[in-house]
Amino acid sequence: MEPSEVIASTRRKPKKRVRLSKPRAQPRSVVPQLEPGAPSDFELMKAIQAADPDALSQLYDRYNGILKALILRVIHNEAEADDLLQEIFMEIWKQAKNFSAQKGKPLGWMVTLARRRAIDGLRKKQAYARAEERLQNEIEQQPDAWVHNATEEEILLSDTRALIRKVIRGLPSAQQQAIDLAFFRGMSQREIAAKTNTPLGTVKTRLELGLKKIYDGLKELRDEL
Amino acid sequence: MNFSEFQNQARLYVIGALEPEEVEEFENARKKFGKKGEEFITKCYALHEAFALSLRPAKASSTIKERLMAMVKAKQQA
Repeated sequence: MEPSEVIASTRRKPKKRVRLSKPRAQPRSVVPQLEPGAPSDFELMKAIQAADPDALSQLYDRYNGILKALILRVIHNEAEADDLLQEIFMEIWKQAKNFSAQKGKPLGWMVTLARRRAIDGLRKKQAYARAEERLQNEIEQQPDAWVHNATEEEILLSDTRALIRKVIRGLPSAQQQAIDLAFFRGMSQREIAAKTNTPLGTVKTRLELGLKKIYDGLKELRDEL
Repeated sequence: MNFSEFQNQARLYVIGALEPEEVEEFENARKKFGKKGEEFITKCYALHEAFALSLRPAKASSTIKERLMAMVKAKQQA
């Protein structure tokens, strides 16, 4: 069955779509499924630690789109995002020896690294003021910033993404916005309070409640969380 | 700080949203809860992965991978 048929089928039978509130027979992973026989992320990281460029090439093919999206979400500049993506994969190559499987999964490690570099890059390149202006426009035009990235049709293309987004979209928009500003902009609670003209205590509560709901929601999607 | 409060703070900590004055208190609680606390923090980092996966993947320029692999080879030969 072609992907388009799957989507069409899903549309015709909306009642058969996965519901987060029901217990699952098999726990889901939030990580995209691999082709049969493909090396796991852990195997690729081990090979990179042994200085195998082909492993880095495979890891790049697997995750460049996700990391590019994350970087782009932070710095909002296509060319800078591409440059930073290259720098981040170079850092993955150099820092692979610091990765420990006991402390988490390769994708989580890469995302943490990429986010930190993107936020650092945003500040270092003094693009902050420009991004702030764009952000202000986003907030004014579309407070529910997390939602505007994809249409419903696009969400249907990825079951994993759709499920995660469903958890996030279940939050009140004020909680989404607070988490968005903290995670993707690297803002402190005080900065968020100033940006949104909200009392500091309210920002803290929004972050705490929102993150807890996401964390609890994700528990239904993955066995390891 | 009880463990429930620690869990709330840990989720803020991993996304860098604790204020400086809260970090010290959190670090003290982290020591207090030991392995149990560290395990919870590790789980919280999975939020990073989920936030990234919530975004629609973006297409990178086709030259990026070529440049990256050329840099890697040059570094290996150096």
